Amino acid sequence: MFHWLEKHPFFFAVGVFVAIAFAGLIEILPNFAQASRPVIGTAPYSTLELAGRNVYIKNSCNACHSQLIRPFKSETDRYGHYSLSGEYAYDRPFLWGSKRTGPDLMRVGNYRTTDWHENHMKNPAAVVPSSIMPAYSWLFTNKADIDTAYAEQLTVAQFFSVPYNKPVPMKDGLTKVVKMGKSVAEAHALALEEAKKVVADMKDQDVKDAVARGEIPEIVALIAYLNSLK
Amino acid sequence: MNKLYLWGVIITAAMLGATYLSVGMSKGGLNGDIVNILAVTGAVALVVITVFVVIKYVRQMQVDQATGELADESWDNIGEYKNPVPFGWAIMFLGTMIWGMWYFIIGYPVDAFSQIGQYNEEVAQKNAEFEKEYADIHGERLVEMGESVFLGECRVCHGIAADGIDGKAANLNVRLEAKTVKSVIENGSNNKLLGTEMPMPDRNGLFNAQTGALITDAEINAVAEYVANGMKGNEAGANVFANTCASCHGPDGKGMEYVAPNIAEFTPSLITNVLTHGKKGAIGKMPALDKLNAKQKEAVAAYIISLSKGE
Repeated sequence: MFHWLEKHPFFFAVGVFVAIAFAGLIEILPNFAQASRPVIGTAPYSTLELAGRNVYIKNSCNACHSQLIRPFKSETDRYGHYSLSGEYAYDRPFLWGSKRTGPDLMRVGNYRTTDWHENHMKNPAAVVPSSIMPAYSWLFTNKADIDTAYAEQLTVAQFFSVPYNKPVPMKDGLTKVVKMGKSVAEAHALALEEAKKVVADMKDQDVKDAVARGEIPEIVALIAYLNSLK
Repeated sequence: MNKLYLWGVIITAAMLGATYLSVGMSKGGLNGDIVNILAVTGAVALVVITVFVVIKYVRQMQVDQATGELADESWDNIGEYKNPVPFGWAIMFLGTMIWGMWYFIIGYPVDAFSQIGQYNEEVAQKNAEFEKEYADIHGERLVEMGESVFLGECRVCHGIAADGIDGKAANLNVRLEAKTVKSVIENGSNNKLLGTEMPMPDRNGLFNAQTGALITDAEINAVAEYVANGMKGNEAGANVFANTCASCHGPDGKGMEYVAPNIAEFTPSLITNVLTHGKKGAIGKMPALDKLNAKQKEAVAAYIISLSKGE
């Protein structure tokens, strides 16, 4: 066997590659699989939050805002606990971002509220005088795409076993069940129910009226998503 | 003399000469510097050793005769003698094995460095510095620290002047605004402003002791105006306050421990509790800012108290 390998450098090289690759796999893969599992307190996105996430991506929020807190005191003082890889378990794709023109939003749900986001999206400079962020007024009139969000939910539930309608452990020791509708109509109903809770803390009468009519403006979905970032 | 040795001497001399020239010609030269001298000595030693080791092996190739018993194994027709393993080599081989086992089991620096370990050290160090520098901060400096924390954390909602930016958040220049008082009376409150107090009932649990009936809209307006005005003016409001609110909040509105918060003025414990638990009130929900440490909360309290005193 070894004599044969010594006479065939190509197969010898293949053998070396296989040996090293195997060692690498058993070293790296288990650790990687462990680290990418959702951490306790990370729940899947609800239909409305997922629609908000799509609004976030559609408006390229990630071009200016990162979602990755690095382990430095200056960052954790400002944004909260540094990010763990398991916290992105349900992010498809992740929205780490590579440049901070605005602040990090990884845990924005911990220190900003619905009414703050509402004021801020209408006119950022009204709450943060030095802000260079533009106003996102169309979010108040455009309708959120619940169908796409529901399709995404169905897909990830089926192909990646994302635990919808199942209890997931939370930090306080309790469990939380993120519901996913059985049909498009039910998904719309669930999203609307969640939107009503968000809108209760909002001031904009047009948005309130739209939700009362059963429509969901993009701003409601986006705020639901931002509030879920914890 | 063998020609080989002659060449060795010539090359050595040439390289030493080159070394001397390059050092001597460079700016400063050896300059009496111990590091320079060491480096040059090392270079000289290397030249001498290299040349004479090379000479030794070249000589060996020229004159040595191979003798001994050949091993059976042949590698591409290159044979090998069955010589004993050189002693020094064997010692190093075994030593390496022992060292390898020690390194694998004990010596491997499992916790030598980690990003999180470095972060923890950084935080511990900064916290220790903070504790040391601000252990007994008070008075004007505490207010200044509070202002800087306020401008970092609170400003985005309460505004730079702490006026709440046109009703987007509470105006902290006054203890309470009329609409806040009204909202609390109508909806009740359980904001843990003292940390452990009883929740305040909504308007269906608030009786006016004078009339013996539930508090009315007119009375709510009057008392809200009275409280928002700093517990003065509005006779009717004062009357409602004395008969409805004073039983918990005290006749002067300064509250009671474990029962009701001070509604006449800000107190440090009130503000630190709001920062710890957050608050839901007339305007909206304020998130908890528990990431601030105890000293920073105290400083924010000092700053906010200084605001409502008009300083």
